Amino acid sequence: MSDTFRQWAEAVQQIAEAPDTPVGITRCATYLRSLRTDKGLQLAARFLDERIFPFRSGKRVAVGSRTYSTCAAEFCEIDYEQVFKPCKKALGNAPDTIEKLMQNIEAARDRRSSAGLSLSDIRQNYERLSGLSTRTVKKTLLKSAWRKMTPVEINYYIRLMRGALETGLSSQQLASALAEAFERDPSRVRHAVTITGRMGRTALLCKHDKLEEARFFPFHPLPPMSASPAKEAEAVDLTRYVAEEEFAGLRTQVHLSGNRVKLYASDGTEVTGPFPDVTHFFLSRPIPDVVLDGVICAYRDREILPGQLLRKRMKMKKKRPGADMLEQYPALFIAFDILYHKGELISGKSLSRRRQILEKLSENHSVPIASQFDVRDRDHLKKLFIRSLSHGNEGLVLKLRESAYETYGQPSDSWINIIKPAGSLKTVLMYVHTENGKHGRRHTGYTLGVRVREDPRYEEEFIPIGKSGADDLGDEETKRLKKRIRDLTVEKYGPTLGLIPEIVVELEFDDIRLNKRTKANYVLHRPRFSIIRWNSDPVETATLKKVENLYQKKINQNRLKQDENPSFLIHENYTSTKD
Amino acid sequence: MNIIKAGSSGVLLPDLNIEFDCSGTDGGHTFISHAHADHMPRSKKSRVYCTAYTRALMRERGFEGTAQVLEFGTPLDTQRARITLYPAGHILGSAMVFVESERGNVLYTGDCRIPPSPASEGFALPGRRVDHLVTEATFALPIYKWDSHEKLASEVRSFASDSLKNDFAPVFLAYDLGKAQEIMQMLAPLNRPLQISRACYNLCKIYERAGFHLGSYETYTSSTCEGKILIASSHALNNGFPADVSKKRIAYCSGWATGTTRFVGPSIDKMIPLSDHLDFFELIELCKGLRPEKVYLTHTPNASVVQHYLDNLNIDSRLLE
Repeated sequence: MSDTFRQWAEAVQQIAEAPDTPVGITRCATYLRSLRTDKGLQLAARFLDERIFPFRSGKRVAVGSRTYSTCAAEFCEIDYEQVFKPCKKALGNAPDTIEKLMQNIEAARDRRSSAGLSLSDIRQNYERLSGLSTRTVKKTLLKSAWRKMTPVEINYYIRLMRGALETGLSSQQLASALAEAFERDPSRVRHAVTITGRMGRTALLCKHDKLEEARFFPFHPLPPMSASPAKEAEAVDLTRYVAEEEFAGLRTQVHLSGNRVKLYASDGTEVTGPFPDVTHFFLSRPIPDVVLDGVICAYRDREILPGQLLRKRMKMKKKRPGADMLEQYPALFIAFDILYHKGELISGKSLSRRRQILEKLSENHSVPIASQFDVRDRDHLKKLFIRSLSHGNEGLVLKLRESAYETYGQPSDSWINIIKPAGSLKTVLMYVHTENGKHGRRHTGYTLGVRVREDPRYEEEFIPIGKSGADDLGDEETKRLKKRIRDLTVEKYGPTLGLIPEIVVELEFDDIRLNKRTKANYVLHRPRFSIIRWNSDPVETATLKKVENLYQKKINQNRLKQDENPSFLIHENYTSTKD
Repeated sequence: MNIIKAGSSGVLLPDLNIEFDCSGTDGGHTFISHAHADHMPRSKKSRVYCTAYTRALMRERGFEGTAQVLEFGTPLDTQRARITLYPAGHILGSAMVFVESERGNVLYTGDCRIPPSPASEGFALPGRRVDHLVTEATFALPIYKWDSHEKLASEVRSFASDSLKNDFAPVFLAYDLGKAQEIMQMLAPLNRPLQISRACYNLCKIYERAGFHLGSYETYTSSTCEGKILIASSHALNNGFPADVSKKRIAYCSGWATGTTRFVGPSIDKMIPLSDHLDFFELIELCKGLRPEKVYLTHTPNASVVQHYLDNLNIDSRLLE
């Protein structure tokens, strides 16, 4: 007997309703252990990781919310505008709404009959769906699948398609569930998941006690190692660390194997398209199979240009940038770590050893690499920090010489980030973004604005300048903020609350970026609450003019040329263009 | 028939000098459907008609006006109309008000439930034609459809037993009046002691006088609550009871517990959609069965959805606002 999608969907629902993570992990483990076939286990684990197809297949199911929502309305014989939309508004999301309607409405009940679809049936159904392009044929396929499902199956069929199961379990916690299910060492299972990037394959290795067979292959981006914040630096022995400059650019992983090269941003999305000069550099040299961690910078005339300029390249998601663009914003990949070399995953080796391999690679193939500096004492650290800023970079990263490259878990003190916020501004709280979770509605973000009252270009008093979280406020301040938000809420736009602009927040940020899609034309990059100025008047908030001035100042900042004590090493014969 | 809204909950029949669920006017005949706060008169000067148990419950909740008891099925004649109360199935004492007059017959449901709450006197419709139906439509969307009482009772009991088995205090969040007593009835077969708030305790005594068995219960004290089942309103949860119970599992019992998204406040472990209102389909069936000339909808954020369905049934309707 095959493992059914119904069992999977009901198990996911149970996991999502677990009172806490350990119970969720145990429920997940119990389910995984109960699966009868290897195929079932592989698909169940992959689906739990919110993947329908293996990462490297490049396949995806593209069915938008409007398609499955109108399809459900037709299936239930209800009016989409008059009935479906108010129902969705009341429940907050389409999959839960569709589940309820499928369950409650007679016409929908009459059409459905649970056929005990297997996980493989569902996989094939998604496969067919991935090959379709028009809304009409997609709807026909959805309806024929739903006819054979229970309401819970339909809910999770849609959620899986959206990649939003909301089980509350991360990939690493799923790995813990696999370890619990088959009584394996959790750290080995987590390692296997990280390097293979394949939950289904790892589940099978786990079941058959073959975790040592887990292999890394290029073109699956590894989770980038993160640095912990600067406060950790105060307590460490600096002699055990080396310092590198924190580049103002795009954190990128380069995967090179045979005659293929791909670039991945830190969130795993592929960014090969906008950087043909970088890919050409790697393809034009006989470099062995490697995975490099580093950063793409805009670099011209021995000077690192503002990171904002790279965004113009990033907009060319699919199209190849033209010659003008390549010349105006030349990109340079600077490697600071090597994770895979000549068929071997070397992330577990010490930083010193990895650095030796990276230096050798750089020497042989002219790959630009970040400079490393020994840190003598805290005064020296300060000097290095100031020099990094004068290079146009953001600060320093301290790296422990004997540390391995950590791909999961919370950032440890192996890497420590010392960066200077680009600035801070007084802003006013305009909107609060909320989300429905199993523990109720919570605030997920805050839109903050600057003053444009005296600005003849605008009719409003304030316009948005950035969206921030408020994680470091502390319990008391968070409580006070929540209460004040309740008092000041005057409008609701779905999950977003509109406030009377009275709460003044001092925001720190890393950068100001041009964004023509926003009302202000500028957005703050990585804004975060510094302090809430409870006693400040909203008229004290910064003006848009001030933001524009800060941006210009940053763009026009004099940057130290990469001559003496450069941020990175580049060989004289470096060229990214064809000879 | 002229039917208008008065204040947040009240409804008036000015032609007949009849008022429902408001503090009332001089010379008017005011009828109170039940003792929930949003239907109860607030003024000390109010002179109203209601059932005996609604009066007892209102008194317990601070009503200081004059309430004259009208028994179910016993008509009251005024100069312009004959008024009779029918059980609404919502909570103890809850009544629908049926008004017969030369201008047509009006049925005002107040809050009602079909099938009725087992902690109420049941539900009954007048055996005569209803020309104008004034009904609540709190859960006016087809996502709201209640499970049977038996299924919900089993869910309530399982939640309590499982929590106790794992050394957690089960806490049921429910209104002090109506829902709490219904849950207590459901839990009575477990023979486990319950702790409730003082306000709820006093209301329970009135239910017991009406012959409802609510099991063994006492008022909450933090020193003796261990191993007991707790029932609290969600507002009480933020004000001491039972916030000081550290090891607890919380079930939110309400029609709004449909799905997982309603904001309640604290961490909720279980959502039990137990309602003392009509669900959407029951509401449509009620309208279909009575087939009045016109349906007047109150207490609803989604009147347009009900109206869309009633239009399809050729039943005229409007929102009272």
